Amino acid sequence: MKVLVVNNMAPFVRGGAESLAEHLVKHLEIAGHEAELLRVPFQWEPATRIPSQMLMARAFELQNVDHVIALKFPAYLIQHPSKTIWLVHQYRQAYDLYDAGHSNLPAGQAGADIRNLIKNADDQCFRGARRLFAISDVTQQRLAHYNGLHADILRAPINDPERFTGGAPQGYIFAGGRINAAKRQHLLVEAMAFASKDVRLVVGGPPDTPGDARLLQETVERLGLRDRVRLELRYLDRQEYADFINGALAVASLPFDEESFSYVAMEAATAGKALLSTTDSGGVLGLAKHGETGWVADPSAEALAEAMSAAWIDASRTQELGAAAKSLWESHQINWPATVAALMS
Amino acid sequence: MRIALCSSFVPFVNGGYRNIVEWLEAALIENGHEVERVYLPEVDEPDLLFRQMAAFRFVDLSAADRIICFRPQAHLIRHPNKIVWFIHHLRGFYDLWDNPMYRGFPDDAKHRGIRDALRAVDTAALEEARRVFANSRVVSERLSRFNRIDSEPLFPPVHRPERFRFRTMNDEIVCICRLEHHKRQHLLVEALKHCRSGVRLRLCGTSAGTGYSSAVAQLANDWGVAERLTIDQRWITEDEKADRLGDCLAAAYLPVDEDSYGYPTLEAAHAGKPVLTVSDAGGVLEFVTHGVNGLVAEPDAVAVARAMDQLFEDRAATRRLGEAATARIAEMNISWSHVLERLLA
Repeated sequence: MKVLVVNNMAPFVRGGAESLAEHLVKHLEIAGHEAELLRVPFQWEPATRIPSQMLMARAFELQNVDHVIALKFPAYLIQHPSKTIWLVHQYRQAYDLYDAGHSNLPAGQAGADIRNLIKNADDQCFRGARRLFAISDVTQQRLAHYNGLHADILRAPINDPERFTGGAPQGYIFAGGRINAAKRQHLLVEAMAFASKDVRLVVGGPPDTPGDARLLQETVERLGLRDRVRLELRYLDRQEYADFINGALAVASLPFDEESFSYVAMEAATAGKALLSTTDSGGVLGLAKHGETGWVADPSAEALAEAMSAAWIDASRTQELGAAAKSLWESHQINWPATVAALMS
Repeated sequence: MRIALCSSFVPFVNGGYRNIVEWLEAALIENGHEVERVYLPEVDEPDLLFRQMAAFRFVDLSAADRIICFRPQAHLIRHPNKIVWFIHHLRGFYDLWDNPMYRGFPDDAKHRGIRDALRAVDTAALEEARRVFANSRVVSERLSRFNRIDSEPLFPPVHRPERFRFRTMNDEIVCICRLEHHKRQHLLVEALKHCRSGVRLRLCGTSAGTGYSSAVAQLANDWGVAERLTIDQRWITEDEKADRLGDCLAAAYLPVDEDSYGYPTLEAAHAGKPVLTVSDAGGVLEFVTHGVNGLVAEPDAVAVARAMDQLFEDRAATRRLGEAATARIAEMNISWSHVLERLLA
């Protein structure tokens, strides 16, 4: 079948959804379909031009396409008799961010009109879709709350699970991914001052700002942790990143109030690594279960230190937790073959 | 520079119209530019045309420093630094209007109205451009005749032309392009019936439907020429193409009134091989001069057969034609450095 994946394009900017769309195309092909990606340009500033870009998406004609899988606003407004929507997110500034006062829509009636226009177009589009899936609980809840629609959840699989083979633990705890205050890598560094002297920590990933990098470097210096904390504050090549996961004793992921499982936790579980998280990490707790798949500590340096020490002291127990994390992850059936099958159903 | 390359496309249909964009993209990136490729769908259906044209007007690429537009109706996109590298009109409304078979809709008041409005819109959109280039003299003349737009012929090079090299001369004339009626492989197969020499023919390519390719194979059987013919019904790899052209006797390219010289012509010339074409092949004749750097036969099987025999029998002359074909590339200034210099001027 000829399947067109339809996504937005913010010209000259690449985001996570772009990578998701590319992997979807790849896995549709693996499943035996012909697949191609259509990227529809979208510029949300000035907001007064959003309606014309919605009209643009609706006015394109598709031929030689059997099925469409659309991911984002306004690209999903494109018309096709067989359209499945895998909703990454709606135009949040017309929904929850509007209510929270963080919208770029103009104040007063003009903004309210654009908001209604977006909501009406969404309602019509979602109701006309062949299937409607939400990528996360939050997206599902927003759809129910604002549009009164139910969507099944279809979570994004890991893009390259074959890299996360697991491996013998090399004695360090790994914290990977983007580095910023909300991901709280600094809390892990602080915890190292309280943890068993045998525990080592590797923090690897690109800092959002120079300040995020500085905070970690200064904390390491201040606490005299240079021998036990390794900072790789840069974008890691995928294989290098996977190698850090595969060699870890346990993997830490403690974002504040995360929407999803978080890629780091999913990749660690794929590799059979025990998970270290905190009680306020939201979606991550779907995979990190205290005493079952790892440790869920209070978000304090002392509590995290205790968990880190435990991971080191009873290494065989840590391996068991890792194996349990892997089975829990696999029980969710979040993989590309199942995802492609749902999107084609 | 941030450059958006804009073209319309038909999902799942490949061909030269994508090559010109993607090869330019590679050349621009190699020269340090940031490139965003913007492919937008378009269906050339008279009744659907104008709403799609409106969609192109709404595309916002203000994030780009410059846009370069290719296949219609991409030239409708608005941008203060719009460059058009025009590859063809919607020909049914232009040069093929007087040809009921290719026009595909009736010559009535409604369609005349659409035609006139389309031409007016095209002219206005082309007038917005900072510069208009055409991929051939034929197209440049049409722009002048129908839109009164001055354009500079800018001949599209092939990707990494150094891949194509003369290696030897076997007994085969190769035709490497889509297997379609308007590329007239059937004429080559029919000519084989009239050939008196030991010349062989190889057709490489795929067709949109199965009708034409099986008809060609059937013809070969009916005329008893199947032994001297190889049909490689697939999109051969670029490496295979370089091998075929490097080793063949000559290349054949017989399109019906093509807009430009066509990549098959240029690829053969890079490999030091002359092109056999026909007198109504259109843009191919901008490159090929009979008896100088190739052969131009009348478009009938007997005349084509005579030319095929001649290429086989006088190999020294064929070699000289091939060398002259290579020299013709420089004479027409077909190179990426020239293309980049003109498009970025």
